[in-house]
Amino acid sequence: MARAVAVPKRAPTTQPLPRPGTMAPVLRGLLWAGIAFVVFNALTLAVDPSTQSPYMSEPSATVAWLAAMFAWLLGIGGYEAVARPLFGSAATWREAPGWRRYFGYSTEHKTIGLQYMLMSAGGFLVAGMVAMAMRYELMTPYLTIFGTSSNYLNAVGIHGSIMMFSVATVFMVGGLGNYFVPLMIGANRTLFPKLSGLSVWLVPVGILTIAMSPLLGVWTTGWRGYQPLAGSDPGGIIYYYLGVFALTLSSFMVALNLTATIIYERAPGLTWNRLPMFVWGILTVSLLNIIWLPEIQITFLLNLFERLVPFNFFNAYGSPAMYMDLFWLFGHPEVYIVVVPALAIWNEILPVMGKKSLFARPVAVLGLVFVMLLSGLVWAHHMFTNVRYTEQLPFSFFTEMISIPTGFAYLAALGTIWRSHLRITTPTLLVLMSMFNFLIGGLTGLFLADVPVNLQIHNTFFVVGHFHYTIIGGMVFSSFAALFYWLPKFSGRMFSELWGKVGAIWIFVAFNATFMNFFVLGLRGMNRWVGVYPAYLANENLITSIAAFVLGAGFLFNAAHLAWAWYRGRKAGENPWGAHTLEWQTASPAPATNFAEPPLVAAGFYTYGDDAPDVLWSRPAVQPSTFD
Amino acid sequence: MADLLTVFAAWVVLGGVGEWLAVRWINSGPWDSGPYFYVASNLGVVGLHAFNFLLEAAIPIFAFVVVMVLFSAIRYRVRRGERPAQARSQARFNGAFVGVWVVGSVLLNILFWLHPTVSGLESVYAAQLPQNNKGALVVNVAARQWEWIFSYPQYHITQAVNSAGLDVLYLPVNRPVKFVLRSYDPFHPYDKSVDVMHSFWIPAFGVKSDVIPGQTRVLYVEATHITSTETNPMVRVQCAEVCGGGHPYMEANVHVVSSKDFAQWVKQQRQLQG
Repeated sequence: MARAVAVPKRAPTTQPLPRPGTMAPVLRGLLWAGIAFVVFNALTLAVDPSTQSPYMSEPSATVAWLAAMFAWLLGIGGYEAVARPLFGSAATWREAPGWRRYFGYSTEHKTIGLQYMLMSAGGFLVAGMVAMAMRYELMTPYLTIFGTSSNYLNAVGIHGSIMMFSVATVFMVGGLGNYFVPLMIGANRTLFPKLSGLSVWLVPVGILTIAMSPLLGVWTTGWRGYQPLAGSDPGGIIYYYLGVFALTLSSFMVALNLTATIIYERAPGLTWNRLPMFVWGILTVSLLNIIWLPEIQITFLLNLFERLVPFNFFNAYGSPAMYMDLFWLFGHPEVYIVVVPALAIWNEILPVMGKKSLFARPVAVLGLVFVMLLSGLVWAHHMFTNVRYTEQLPFSFFTEMISIPTGFAYLAALGTIWRSHLRITTPTLLVLMSMFNFLIGGLTGLFLADVPVNLQIHNTFFVVGHFHYTIIGGMVFSSFAALFYWLPKFSGRMFSELWGKVGAIWIFVAFNATFMNFFVLGLRGMNRWVGVYPAYLANENLITSIAAFVLGAGFLFNAAHLAWAWYRGRKAGENPWGAHTLEWQTASPAPATNFAEPPLVAAGFYTYGDDAPDVLWSRPAVQPSTFD
Repeated sequence: MADLLTVFAAWVVLGGVGEWLAVRWINSGPWDSGPYFYVASNLGVVGLHAFNFLLEAAIPIFAFVVVMVLFSAIRYRVRRGERPAQARSQARFNGAFVGVWVVGSVLLNILFWLHPTVSGLESVYAAQLPQNNKGALVVNVAARQWEWIFSYPQYHITQAVNSAGLDVLYLPVNRPVKFVLRSYDPFHPYDKSVDVMHSFWIPAFGVKSDVIPGQTRVLYVEATHITSTETNPMVRVQCAEVCGGGHPYMEANVHVVSSKDFAQWVKQQRQLQG
C-alpha cells in the first residue's frame, strides 16, 4: 500500500462494516451532547429557577455539562461498545477502517495512544497560542490586546490548566504509555481496553470545557484556583473545575489500566528486575496518579459545592488555608507525575544511542521509586509564606531530600554516556538538552526550597521560570526526544537528521533565551499574575516576549517536521537504532497484533557489549494456551 | 585516566569562571545587593546572604553535570563515517562513583538545609520575637480588593494617604516595624466572606507574608536605608497573591525616612484627619 500509516490488517471478517449513512462518531457525540445539554439545562432550571437569568445558572450549567459529558461518551461509540453490553446486548461497535478509526471509539491500545498524543498536542497548540497572546500582552507595561486585567488573568488560568492537565500529565502517560507499555512488556493489549477507549474521549471534553469557560464568566484565579477568590469569581470557574474533572478522570482511568497491565500482562520471563525503564516510569507515575487524582477531584468537588450550595469551607468563616493544603497535596506529586516519565526516557534512549549498558540501573529505578514515595511529603513548600514557622523546617528538609533520588537519573545517564560510543542523533541531542534544562530547573528549586530566599521569590517570576524549566525542559524536550526515537516504530519511516537537529537547537536556544529572563525578572520584583507591571521591567519583558515567539515557531517547526517525516520520511527498517527492548522486536510500523506469539524473555534489555547475553528473548516452540 | 584528568580540569575551569561571574554579581548593586538588586531591610539581608551562598554552591554542581555531558558528547561521539560499534567499556556499576555521588548528595542536601535554611530562619525567627522588637512602630495593614490601607494606631492615624489621596506607607529608618496584616474590607464590614487572599510584599525588603481572610498575621521588619518608591521602584508594596482583576494594580508607594521626617509626617497626617 502507498500509505505509510499503520493500517491494521483486518482478519476475514464476519463483522459487517458500518452501514452507509451511519453518522460519524464525533458528529453523533456532538449531537447527543448538545441535546443532553439543552434538555438537562432546561430541566434543572425548571426545578431550580435562577433569579439572574432564565437561560442558565451555575447549577444548570453544571448538571447540563455532566449530562453532555455522558452523552458525548455514549455518542462516540460508548453506547454500542460499553452501555448496551452492560445491559446484556451483544457489543455491536465497529471501528472504521483507515484513518477514520482515530475519530471514534477504539479499544486498540496503539490507536488509543495515538489519539491521546494527538489530542494532547492539540491542547499544547491551544494553550501555546494563549501563551503567545500572553507574551504579546506582556511586551508592554500597559494593557493592549486583552483589554482588561481580568481577561489576561483568565488566559493565564486557561494556559496553565490546559498545559498541566492535558499535556504535561497526558502526553507521556496516556499517549506514549498506552502505545508502548504493552509493546515493551510483550503484550498485545492493555487489561481494560473498553475503559481505555472511553478515557481518551474525555480529553477533548476537558480541553474544550476549559477553553470555553470564559463564556460563562471571566475567572481570575489561575490554574491553582485559590480560595476564597474562586468562590467570588464569575461563573466560568465552574467549567474550569468540570474541565479539570474530565481530564483527571481520563488520567485516572489510564493509571488504573496501565498499572494493571504492567502487573498482569507481562510476557513470560519479563520479571520485575527486567522491566524496561520507561515502564518503570509509567508504573510509578500511575501509582502516584491513583493515589492523588481522586484527592484533587474531591477538592474540586468541594470547590464546586462551595459555589453551588453554597458552603463556607474556604472563606473567612471557614479556612482559606485549608484549600491550599488540599490543592498542594495533589499539586506537588502532580509535578513529579509530569517529570518522572521524562527521567525514565533519558535512561531508555541513552543506552541505545550509546550502545552501552545502562549504568547503575537498579539505582536509576530506585530513584524513580523514591521520588514517588517522597513526593507526598513536600507539598507545603508552596506555602512557606503562610504556614506556621514550625512547619517550614520539616517541609524544607524533605524538599532538600527529594533532590537526591531525582539526581539518580543523572547518575545513571552520566555513567551510561561515559566511555560510550554515542551516536549524536536528534533523540540523543534532545535528551542531553533535557538534562541541561532540567538541571537548571532543579538547581533553581534549591533556592526555592530555602525558606529565607523563598520569602522573597515566592509568587514571583522566579517561580514561573523554575517550573517552566522543569516542565518544558524536562517533560517537553523528553517528549520530543521520544517522538523522534519512536517515529520509525509509529510509521516505519525516519526523520531527517539535519532538520531534526536544526529543530532541536532552535527550541533549545529560544527556550533558554525566553525563560532565563524569568529568574532575573522575579528577582527584580516582578510578581505573578500581572498583565501590567511597573515600567522599569518593560525592556526585559520585551526581549523575553520576542524570544518566546521564536520558541513558539520552533515548536511548530518540530511538529511539522515530525508530521512530514511520518508520511514522507525515508523508510526505516524494523529496528533502526539497534535497541534491545521488545517494542523493536516486532514489525515497524507496529502491526495490529503486536506479537503473534508472546515472546519468552531470557535477559534484561540494557546490557550491551561482550557481557550481553546472546539471546534476549525467543518465541516459544509450543504456543502457550493462556495468551490471546 | 587522561579522560578523568581532562574532565577534572574542565570542571575546575568552568566552575572557576562561574564562581568568578557569581562573585561579580554578588558584589554588584547598591549596598552589595547583588542578585536581590536592591535590599533595604534586615530580613532582606538574611535572604540575600542565603541566596549568595546557594549560588556559589550550585555553580560547581552545575559545572560538573555540564562538563560531563559535553565531554561525553564530544569525546565519545560516533564520528561521521564511523560504524557505531558497541562501546569498549561496558561498566554497569562503579562503587566509587555511585558511593561518592550518593553520599555526597545526601551530605550536600543536609548541609543546605542546615545552612542557609535553618541558620537563616533562626535569624528570621529571632527577628520576629516581640522581645527583640521593643519600641516597634505598629502599622495595621488592611488588604482589600484592591487596596492597601495603612493605619498607625499608636499615632491615631486611621488611614495614611499622600497628597493625591492614595494610600502610602511611611516608615522610620532603623526602627523595628510591626506590620499587623489582615484581609478585610473596612468599608464593607457586614460581609466577612467577601475577602480574598493577598500577599504583603515589598521587593526591596526581601520578604513577603500572605494575608489570609480570617487570620491576623504579624511581620516584624526593620528598614535599613532611607529610600522611597521614587528612588527605586523595588521599594513599593506589591500584592503577591492573585486576588482578582485588580491584582496588578494593588500597589502602594513606600517612603523610608529619618525619624525626624517621620515625626513630621505623622503630624501632617493627624492634621489631615482633623
